[in-house]
Amino acid sequence: MSDDAVIEMSGVAVANPHGSDVPLVASVDWRVARGECWVVAGQQGSGKTTVIETAAGLRPALRGEVRLFGEPLPSPSGEAMARLRQRVGFVFEGAGRLFPNLGVAENIALPLRYHRHLTAAESAAELRPLMEAFQLERFANLAPGRIGRAWARRAGLARAMASRPELVLLDNPLEGLDPVHLRWWRGFLAELVHGHPWLGGKPATVVIATDELRPLLGIGTRFATVDGGRWKVLGDREAVSASDDPAVRELMDERN
Amino acid sequence: MDTVHLPSRSGSFVTAAAARARAAGATLRRLVAFTLISLGTLVTKAGRSPQVMRPLMTEQVFRVGVKLVPIVCFLGITLGIVIVGQTVTVLQTVGAVKFTGMLLVTVVIRELAPLVAGLVVLARVGTASVIELATARALGEVEALEALGIDPIHYLVVPRVIGFTVAVATLTAHFVLLALVSGYAFAFARGLPLTLTGYFGDIATALSWADFPLLALKTSLFGAVTGMIICYQGLSQALRLEEVGGATTRTVAQCVVGCLCIDALFVPVYLLL
Repeated sequence: MSDDAVIEMSGVAVANPHGSDVPLVASVDWRVARGECWVVAGQQGSGKTTVIETAAGLRPALRGEVRLFGEPLPSPSGEAMARLRQRVGFVFEGAGRLFPNLGVAENIALPLRYHRHLTAAESAAELRPLMEAFQLERFANLAPGRIGRAWARRAGLARAMASRPELVLLDNPLEGLDPVHLRWWRGFLAELVHGHPWLGGKPATVVIATDELRPLLGIGTRFATVDGGRWKVLGDREAVSASDDPAVRELMDERN
Repeated sequence: MDTVHLPSRSGSFVTAAAARARAAGATLRRLVAFTLISLGTLVTKAGRSPQVMRPLMTEQVFRVGVKLVPIVCFLGITLGIVIVGQTVTVLQTVGAVKFTGMLLVTVVIRELAPLVAGLVVLARVGTASVIELATARALGEVEALEALGIDPIHYLVVPRVIGFTVAVATLTAHFVLLALVSGYAFAFARGLPLTLTGYFGDIATALSWADFPLLALKTSLFGAVTGMIICYQGLSQALRLEEVGGATTRTVAQCVVGCLCIDALFVPVYLLL
């Protein structure tokens, strides 16, 4: 277990979110080093989301060991886990799972206000550069239900980024985006990998779950697939391009 | 043929009743565990994140308490006329007016007011809260809170339980006051020879000093138990959309049973006063 490992999973059986005792993905051995950008690809329902949720400590593993930042995952409801989660940004699929009773700006400011006890004015001042970079200022006071799905997802990303996480996990971030949003997201992800100004220019450790490999081929540095309940590490870009695995070729079939 | 079937029918009834009792026991155990976890969170995280938690608690007190003041006032006035007014009239007619204070303290202050306030809160806000929490759980908002390092019990349960507790206690006070005043007004309008000072003097005499803390405790328990059952039913398990209706019905039944059980526990205490 080296010091620069951010995620380590050894012999992990990923639990089925629908409660079955049969693991969704049988045996995950995975090590994510600091500064890497992993792309985890798989068809819809293959279990890629559950794998990254398990890695982030949002779901318990059926068996095996999960370590984050070199430490075994603490009790889910304890203070240690709450502190750990502030170092991790998780961007959910779809409309970002914003809280409907809060406005867009309130959603984004929530982790800062909860953990750092900032007032609304203080959090707004601190988050202004993020809101501007994400072009969300005009939606600040709107309810999440009143903005488009792509903007809501971007607000979900801003909420995950608010506490300047060291590790960012994104679940299918490019799914169903129009060309303008797609270009913005690809630009953002590339910047995140190389060093985003919001994170002080330091490259973040990034994990992206996706059902399409090609749009992320130029962004990811390491690749893995989840197919038929099996976890498979592919390697770097060249390994993906050279792979003759039918499942990988299918995931490379770009639609955007 | 009947003699062959009867034992098996009674046997299946006993089996079904036993299964029902086991299920009720299991629900009670889970509810107690949920309550203990929530109480632990309430104590260990008291005063944590005031910038976020205070507005949430204020919102819940407003939603469960302040917004229900008009309906509780209406019920206080109408039930005051129906129950207090008639009771006073009947007591006057049979010459038992000296029991007015004792009867009103027992019926209205100790029993009717807490139950009415609890049931109004349950009907008007409780059922909506179950749907709201179950929907939040189904849409993954609980996981979203966890991903942000926010304890869902702290964020979702604690403000609601505090809101319900404060609301039932304060709404009970509104109900008592209006029921007694409107009851007197009805009796006065019927021309009964009853003075305002005599009427409230009788009630004050029948009241014990212990009635005040006991009423506060009882109504707070009604509110806390109602809030806890609502949060348990809304959050304890991931529900499908079609299961939310069933959870709401279960919540109403469990809250009524819970409040009546608490009520029964207070009876021996009141008998000692």
